[in-house]
Amino acid sequence: MQNRILEFTNILRRAGIRVSTAEALDAFRALEVLSIDDREVFRDALGATMVKRAADVSIFNELFDLFWSGFYHSLRESFDQASAGLPERMDYEALLRQIAELLQAPEGEFPALSDLARAMLTGDLGQLESLIRSAAEGAGIERIENFLQVGFFSRRTLEGLGAERAAGELRELSDRLRAAGMSPDESEALSSLIDRLMDAIRNSVRNFTEREIQQRNHDYMEKFRQETLLEKSFYHLTEDEVRKMREVVERLAQKIKNILTIRRKRMKRGKLDLHQTLRRNMSHGGIPFEMIWKHRKKDRPKLVILCDVSSSVANVSRFMLQFCYSLQEAFTKIRSFIFVAELGEVTHLFKDAEISDSIERALQGGGVVNVYTRSNFGNAFYAFTQNYLAAVDKKTTVLVLGDARNNYNDPKAWCLREIHSKAKNVIWLNPENPSAWGFGDSVMNRYTPFVEVAEECRNLRQLSNLIDGLILR
Amino acid sequence: MGAGLFDSVESIQKELADLDYICDVNIATVVFLARRLEKPVLIEGPAGVGKTELAKVVATATRSQLIRLQCYEGLDEAKALYEWEYSKQLLYTQILKERFSEVMSGAKTVREAAERVGREDSVFFSENFLVPRPLMKAITADTPALLLIDEVDKGDPEFEALLLEVLSDFQVTVPEIGTIRAVKRPLVFLTSNNSREMSDALKRRCLHLFIDFPSEALEIRILEAKVPEAGKKLSADLVRMMQALRKLDLKKTPSISETLDWARALLALNAEELDRDVVRRTLNVILKYEGDVRKAEGELDKLLAERVDDQRSGAGAAATSSAQRAGKDARHQA
Repeated sequence: MQNRILEFTNILRRAGIRVSTAEALDAFRALEVLSIDDREVFRDALGATMVKRAADVSIFNELFDLFWSGFYHSLRESFDQASAGLPERMDYEALLRQIAELLQAPEGEFPALSDLARAMLTGDLGQLESLIRSAAEGAGIERIENFLQVGFFSRRTLEGLGAERAAGELRELSDRLRAAGMSPDESEALSSLIDRLMDAIRNSVRNFTEREIQQRNHDYMEKFRQETLLEKSFYHLTEDEVRKMREVVERLAQKIKNILTIRRKRMKRGKLDLHQTLRRNMSHGGIPFEMIWKHRKKDRPKLVILCDVSSSVANVSRFMLQFCYSLQEAFTKIRSFIFVAELGEVTHLFKDAEISDSIERALQGGGVVNVYTRSNFGNAFYAFTQNYLAAVDKKTTVLVLGDARNNYNDPKAWCLREIHSKAKNVIWLNPENPSAWGFGDSVMNRYTPFVEVAEECRNLRQLSNLIDGLILR
Repeated sequence: MGAGLFDSVESIQKELADLDYICDVNIATVVFLARRLEKPVLIEGPAGVGKTELAKVVATATRSQLIRLQCYEGLDEAKALYEWEYSKQLLYTQILKERFSEVMSGAKTVREAAERVGREDSVFFSENFLVPRPLMKAITADTPALLLIDEVDKGDPEFEALLLEVLSDFQVTVPEIGTIRAVKRPLVFLTSNNSREMSDALKRRCLHLFIDFPSEALEIRILEAKVPEAGKKLSADLVRMMQALRKLDLKKTPSISETLDWARALLALNAEELDRDVVRRTLNVILKYEGDVRKAEGELDKLLAERVDDQRSGAGAAATSSAQRAGKDARHQA
């Protein structure tokens, strides 16, 4: 049992759940004081002691089912099926008695047979399970890595089990029974039972191997997918991936939030403020009881986001908006504008409804712009300076998101210059590679003089680095 | 003492049910382990599923004194653990000045005087000047105690570090005095709304309990235990509605506490059953955002229709009359 729990611990670790030695010991202590007959109690005890993150609970449950019972269950199923094929008038109990007589052994024990054959004949599934398990260990099952190896390891496990030998023994047994005067259709039924039993054992071993790989490599694919999502270019996301991406964005935002609280903490400590300290401690006769520290003040940035929502950059805009609004508490104020050829404000959209939902709506134009036109950056900037320039002050960071593909319209760079002169800084994120800037209908080179930073932003990792590095620091 | 009854998972479930706290095996198992292994429990889950309530009920069931520490940003040692009263110490020094000169009178050398003072110095570094705060109280309590550290995720990471010593060894180190050990280990419950991931060090010291929204059957039992006046039919309808509402994509998913509030609100309005009008008028009891209310109103017909279908399927009529009877009985008793 201990070994099984340790093995289970290892499997949890492989699935990305951190289980420390102390926690495994807790699990042992828990099982000492609890009866483990009740499966649910057993699971809860393991869960409470080893799984500490709410997000891991579902993985734990899945693995628990795979590891602790699933196999026995399916073993029973396949063996029940195999023995269900016997004709009704044949009495299996009587058959076993007959075999015992034949082998001249006390009932239920067949010393002449191998362990496997005996377990199969008497339907001792517990014994079968432990036989398969140790054979699989002997075959080095812990080295299994992918599904292509299932066949190989199944074969080696069967060899280790001595399946062929058991089959031979059983056939020989049925021959001797026939020779001892068994009726032809009974012996026919018996030999087909033996065939089915052999099939059952082969299937069970295969099943066991498949379960092993599922347990061991659980989450491997998941992790892989998340890593690639971070790196994957926004241009190539499928719809399904866009949905998955939301979680990733959430998690990144949470990470940045944590960093921010630590940073804010550090801010509180500062140099001794001599002036204030002396003044405060006048009442104590000038003895400095209370210290006053100089606080390094740090403004929370105001943010104005200008997002191109034409289909070519919609994904970047989506995640950027989502990111910024997930980080709501890091900013005093965010105002968002979207544009294609016209420009409109969508801040109000986020006030009430759920974020990702409202972002989807914003990307459809949010009722303020027509998304089925061609991008016109010049026009959008002009509209902004005319109507919303008051939103920009010395504390404001203006974040522009777009590919600057202006469809040969007038870029009106002077509008951006005006915005730039009023803002704290202007940052331009472009999903295109810098080598493409200024070529074709790209007017990026006309705008770059009026922005502090122009960066390529093609995947989520770049986006999160940029937001952390440029705006929050 | 109730402790004798608390010695198996089933008995815990029953004990808590007697106090109107209906829970599944999972919760009972963790409570059992917490008592047997003397380990703190970190309870996580959405708001309003009864995390704090569990601690309170366990305290009542085990006849322990409940010591509660509410966490918030900026909570520090002085407010959570203990405070050293410098002013009181100073005051004592002033008052005892004369006694000291008595002690020192007759001392021939400075060294001798210092030694005499030294003999008395434990007076000045004693627990007299220690103001215990919740954590300290829980450790020094000589009767059974249950320490509830509520919303631990609201506290700062530094505070977490402070908790580590308390939670693993049940001891506190006070620089002026030394280490104070728990006479009797208190039961510790920490609750978290998951606004921040707790550190691994903290989690390792705790058992983990995740309380999710209850299943339909469990929620009906909870509602019947807490608001028995509601009657069977109204409870069942209400819970089904709540379960359906939780499936919608809402900004704030309504929890058990909202179910109970809603049942009470409906009773106050003398509503015998859920109809469109009543539901519409009382939606703001369960949904706290304008957008959510609007979304639910949009789905209202669908949510109510499911219920009506169930009624038509036959069992409805019989259930109604018996439920009404049950409801009336309950009211008589009250």
